[in-house]
Amino acid sequence: MELYIGGYAQGKLSYVMKQTGVPLEKVLDGALETDGSSYEDVRVLNNFHMLVRNWLKAGVDPEEEIKGILLKCPRLIIISDEVGNGIVPMEAEEREYRERLGRILCTLAEKAEKVERVICGIGQRLK
Amino acid sequence: MFVLITGGSGSGKSAYGEKTVVSLANKLNDPSLYYIATMQVYGEEGRKKVERHRILRAGKGFETIEQPVNILEALENMKSGNKIVLLECMSNLVANEMFSGELNVVEDVVDKICRSICSLRQKTNDLIIVTNNVFEDGIDYEIATKSYMEALGRINTQLAAMADAVTEVVAGIPVPVKGELIKYD
Repeated sequence: MELYIGGYAQGKLSYVMKQTGVPLEKVLDGALETDGSSYEDVRVLNNFHMLVRNWLKAGVDPEEEIKGILLKCPRLIIISDEVGNGIVPMEAEEREYRERLGRILCTLAEKAEKVERVICGIGQRLK
Repeated sequence: MFVLITGGSGSGKSAYGEKTVVSLANKLNDPSLYYIATMQVYGEEGRKKVERHRILRAGKGFETIEQPVNILEALENMKSGNKIVLLECMSNLVANEMFSGELNVVEDVVDKICRSICSLRQKTNDLIIVTNNVFEDGIDYEIATKSYMEALGRINTQLAAMADAVTEVVAGIPVPVKGELIKYD
């Protein structure tokens, strides 16, 4: 598994596609997909943060979900926005989302063979 | 050593801060380890946060001092001899000083906190401060929040200038900003 993180609109998906050669057909958009049904043909999971947001909203345990997905796709490339670099939000759900996503990314980074942060379209190898 | 650790929410700053203390403690003769907690605990969410941090710190030999404002008073609760202090978190200390302390002018808060940290640094063998990157959400906040961000930003800048090492923690991975990463096993 590989993890690519970075701020909004930093060119993460283009960077990953260029680096890995994975075509768009094999990219799943986490912002659209919530049922987690078929991951067989998926190489890249984009907008992972939105998937986590939607899971939390639906009352689903994101840590368990991602565990299940990684069992099916151990070579998955995960792309996620970093969302924790701001003022602590007033709403409890927003705080929960930021905190949970941050912790999940820590766990994924620990397991990942490779971690990169993309800034201005440029990858910075962290692991 | 004076190490400043920054990062976002849930980035693993605390865990890295603790590892840093444990690693520095190995180089000193019988140091006392102090954890200065600046967070004021409100409600269930706050209690859970404190509990998570307590579990993280358990077994590492820290003595906890709760000090939401007037950080120098924490020294009164420390023994003489070698000491390492982990202060967490600067973002809470600044908020407490500004919103529940006596000072609310940015300059006064910056001045008070930076002076206090200078003194604290002189009285400790190693000082590790965890701060917070609250600066990148692109929201145009109202004046009180902007003043807070201004104060924290200036404090971070001054502390970074004093620090031997500044480290950003990203998804649990330490990234050097200034100086070298502290080695730990």
